[in-house]
Amino acid sequence: MRSDNDMRAWLQTTTGIVAVLLLVQFLTGVLLAFYYVPSVDHAYTTVSYIEKVVSSGSWLRALHHYGSQWLSVFIFLHVIRLFWTEAYATNRIQWIAGILILGLVMAAGGTGYSLPWDARAFFSTRVAEGLMAGLPGAGSLARLWLLGGSEISPVTLSRFFALHVLVVPALIAAVVVWRMFRAQIAELFTTRDAIVGGLVFLALALWAWKNPAPLGPSVAEAGADYLPRPGSQFLWLYQSLKYIPGGLGSVVGVVLPGIVLVVLIALPWLKQQRLIAGSLLGIGVVLIVMMTTVSYLSDHRDPQTAKQLAQQAAQEQAWRRQPFQPATITIAPAATASAGGGPPAMYTKFCAQCHGSNGQGAQQGPLKFPPLLDVSTKPRRSVDDIVGLLKDPPAYGLQPPMRSFSGKLSEDQMREIAEWIVKLKK
Amino acid sequence: MNIDTSRRSFLKFLPLAAVFASIGGAAFRFLRPKLSAATDAWLDVASVSELSGPQPISRKIVAEQITGWAITTEEHNVFVLPAKNNQVVSAICPHEGCEVAWEQNKNRFSCPCHESFFAADGSRISGPARRGLDELPARVQDGKLQVQYISKEQATHA
Repeated sequence: MRSDNDMRAWLQTTTGIVAVLLLVQFLTGVLLAFYYVPSVDHAYTTVSYIEKVVSSGSWLRALHHYGSQWLSVFIFLHVIRLFWTEAYATNRIQWIAGILILGLVMAAGGTGYSLPWDARAFFSTRVAEGLMAGLPGAGSLARLWLLGGSEISPVTLSRFFALHVLVVPALIAAVVVWRMFRAQIAELFTTRDAIVGGLVFLALALWAWKNPAPLGPSVAEAGADYLPRPGSQFLWLYQSLKYIPGGLGSVVGVVLPGIVLVVLIALPWLKQQRLIAGSLLGIGVVLIVMMTTVSYLSDHRDPQTAKQLAQQAAQEQAWRRQPFQPATITIAPAATASAGGGPPAMYTKFCAQCHGSNGQGAQQGPLKFPPLLDVSTKPRRSVDDIVGLLKDPPAYGLQPPMRSFSGKLSEDQMREIAEWIVKLKK
Repeated sequence: MNIDTSRRSFLKFLPLAAVFASIGGAAFRFLRPKLSAATDAWLDVASVSELSGPQPISRKIVAEQITGWAITTEEHNVFVLPAKNNQVVSAICPHEGCEVAWEQNKNRFSCPCHESFFAADGSRISGPARRGLDELPARVQDGKLQVQYISKEQATHA
């Protein structure tokens, strides 16, 4: 009998796990904010910097990334545990706080995915945009408000950033504080909670140590065949959206979960509590487990998809081995330095990282990038040659890392760059 | 009973302490400042032929620095002192880092922030600055005066 009670007590330690994981998210989130810059031209660079250069950066980011997924799972288990113990009837505040945190944790995950501004983030922002746009009645308005304009723009990233690091965490903290004020800490956080929470943290720490958080190619570098995949806490939604035509996706992805959360919050005042909550949570569990499994299986069974995903993983591995590429920032434009005008904007965007902001060349680790000064005195380096070279480097005897810019630059942009380069003198 | 309670409450906070200790330890490494690496390139200041006269000559140079995740390109003012064998001094006041200006009528450099004054040869005259204007490494290459831009710590902290 005693061991039965003991067993049950250990199973009821989800509070401790959720508390520890929330703490991890707050601590690592604050740290990441010391380097991260929420702008479309620097977000990817700063996240790469955290991954490749800053000590412990990769581990802290992996803790934050996987922590958010683990937190989603454990907050859901926590809600199921509260349902099991009939908290909606015996401890309303505990129940409501649990549901609110579940919703807020999912919101934090959703807004966080956009921040690294890699190809994956870009697609996740697109999907969020689509989900908002499809909302019945207020769709176009909701989309405009989410994006901060009619298109995904620098303003959009700032919005997701503000929601992710200011609004949602503040709401979570408010709910946690409210919950703690209404309960004895000792009763809330038992020794068992502490032990289990600590063990889960240990497991997360080891996992994050072995597995760095993914970072896809930058938006500019992602090919058309890139396959984005969301974090595991959203796989069920991602897979469900494959089966649902058009705007109905918003109903399934946003409206229904929203209604479920509202009903669960209102549960303490409803009749037939056990039936309602039991069926909602039951359907939820079945849907999530089924869709996540199907998504996992379909990615592994379809040879083409599996091959592409494996290729993406290999590319990410290769990217990790490359040295960090710093961004170029001009603090005060130099009027006197580059007589005859500064570099074209497209040069600064695509070429300056390797060839220097003014064509002076650069060295990154073992790679040496030649200066472009006086390049016009060399054979086969007229304006027309340079345009041709930008399209097809091997035809001009150049090897990687110099790559073709055919898909990235228009003919006019290439010509503008070429005409600027031939004027560069030592 | 009492010992048991205190042992339990200690046990309770041990895992939390572990979370703070491990993330805190990583945070120390994570936040540790990185010294910025100046690129030691030689930057053109002017042709030697155009440098003459007793007055300091103001020039702008553009220096690159690798700071954190970016290569920053920043414009800096320097003064060439033709009277002192084309020595080049930085316009950064060695007191608190404002930019000094040349006052032709008073034949001196003056700092707009805290009234440090420097002579035409860059040496300190008066004011809170504790040393003269900082000299930059310079050379002449193919008839051009070149410098390496090095920012120095302010005298108040040195």
